[in-house]
Amino acid sequence: MDMELAFSGWSGILILVIYGFIMLGVGIVTYLRNKGIHQSLEEYYLGGRGLGVMVLFFTFFATQYSGNTVVGYPPSAYRQGFEYLVSVPFFIMIIVAYLLFAPRLYSMGKKYKLVTPAQWFEKRFKSKAVTILASFLMLYGLGNYLLEQLVAIGQGVDGLTGGTVPYQVGVIFFVVIMIIYGWLGGMRSVAYTDTMQGIALLLGVFMLLIGSIVYFGGLPTSADYMQAYSPEKLGIPEGPGLVNWFGMLVLIGIGAAVYPHAIQRIFAAKSERALKQSFSRMAWMPFLTAGVVFIIGIIGINAYPDLSTGESEQLVGMMASAIANQNALFYWAMILLFGGVIAAIVSTADSVLLTFSSIVSNDLYGSYINPEASEQKKLLVGKLVGVAAVGILVWVAWYPPGTLYQIFVLKFELLIQIAPALILGLYWNRLHTKAVFAGMLTGTIAASVMTLAGISFLGLANGLWGLLLNLIICVVGSMVMSVSVMEEKEAKQVIGM
Amino acid sequence: MNKATKEPIKNVKVWIILGVLFAMINPWYFPQSFEEILIYGIPLWAVVIIIASLLLSAYLSYVLKYHWVIEEEQEEAETKGEK
Repeated sequence: MDMELAFSGWSGILILVIYGFIMLGVGIVTYLRNKGIHQSLEEYYLGGRGLGVMVLFFTFFATQYSGNTVVGYPPSAYRQGFEYLVSVPFFIMIIVAYLLFAPRLYSMGKKYKLVTPAQWFEKRFKSKAVTILASFLMLYGLGNYLLEQLVAIGQGVDGLTGGTVPYQVGVIFFVVIMIIYGWLGGMRSVAYTDTMQGIALLLGVFMLLIGSIVYFGGLPTSADYMQAYSPEKLGIPEGPGLVNWFGMLVLIGIGAAVYPHAIQRIFAAKSERALKQSFSRMAWMPFLTAGVVFIIGIIGINAYPDLSTGESEQLVGMMASAIANQNALFYWAMILLFGGVIAAIVSTADSVLLTFSSIVSNDLYGSYINPEASEQKKLLVGKLVGVAAVGILVWVAWYPPGTLYQIFVLKFELLIQIAPALILGLYWNRLHTKAVFAGMLTGTIAASVMTLAGISFLGLANGLWGLLLNLIICVVGSMVMSVSVMEEKEAKQVIGM
Repeated sequence: MNKATKEPIKNVKVWIILGVLFAMINPWYFPQSFEEILIYGIPLWAVVIIIASLLLSAYLSYVLKYHWVIEEEQEEAETKGEK
């Protein structure tokens, strides 16, 4: 594609370096102010359970909205048209899913000083098999998720600088910074940088919206184009489209709510009130983020017609470059956006990495491999394994797979399998441990096999079929095997509500 | 103390309303004509979905604020005690 790229100069690189150094600075300041955090899992991984409304909100925001939302969603809207409007309500569904379990889980977290989601499984089911399976599912899902972010960092830097900064250099630069500030300040660093990154992203996206409307024409112009050339993009989703819509709402609602790093943030809240207020703000964010990037994608239909799937993946880069070419104000606004997108990806990646390390520290190494180890040692092992995992993933990211969407679905399909154990376990004392294990395992295998073999039923996502199977096995299995009076009493005592 | 606690999951009314709102954010109930009418470049069916989504967000904010009270009172009391 032949086009003038506005970011190919020094300003793009400059803003990246500035963002990078701010993140590093946050890490160093956090480290100097909280030197004691490297002796305690709670201090390091949960910020000492002290996150207030604003920081908690932005850190939730960063876990759920990534640079992928900004770079990957407009191309989907571009290809699917208004059918992709589903991206707005599906982010609201996450909050609906939280209502199912967050209130009680917060109480449990407080009562038992929980640090990781798997720790709750250990407490509730007292089963090595369940805890380890759940931990592996989470680690695998998180690994995939992290990989997706690394690929996105590379594509973002490469795409938005028009190739001036190569993919690999972008990935390495930010991965090194992320590891350093994460290592220095733990959850505090991550949450503070999330706040900065969230604000930069929001500002940048709004400027992109304004620029798109000014220079490419608003929604009415795009609608005229669609009416003339691709009326199906204005159409009401029917048949498979409708099933897909419904599936996305359920899959992403439950899936994103049970993200291990999202669950962990419930434990990090300073108080119930802070948690409630953060969720309440999150309920409105889809309109300001998913909604805005959706409009940008729709405007793209008119601005750059007839792109192939591969070309459309670069849509945001093309639009931002064209807008930046107009005048100095937009030029700098797009530079800000450019930094904001990368920062948002980094902020999602750092949350994922921190949770990844915490599962290794607490649930695998700390519970089974070396329970006698000091917290300091557990922390160190978690950090080191995290760094090693990033190293492997960076290597994989060198050869990024297809479009972003496919890997996105794959991680959900596995992470969602912990939902029945998590949610039912909080309320149903008669839930049987063996049924939970069998359900989780069967659901995972079913969803993975279906995905790998390319099988699909009724157009619903494979993860949902796995989840359904998982749920049925949990419920029916618990009824058939029936828990002993002792176990039921124990479960009741653990929950204690 | 337990009397004052409110847990959203136990409130049937909340889930009925959320169920209705969920039905409204799925585009299954529109007549074909809703894709031809455009309001500021947005097809009418999509406008309805957006309005339903706004209602869902508003209702969630309400439920979060008034129907989830488990630890709050005790926590507030503790904070006051510290001061």
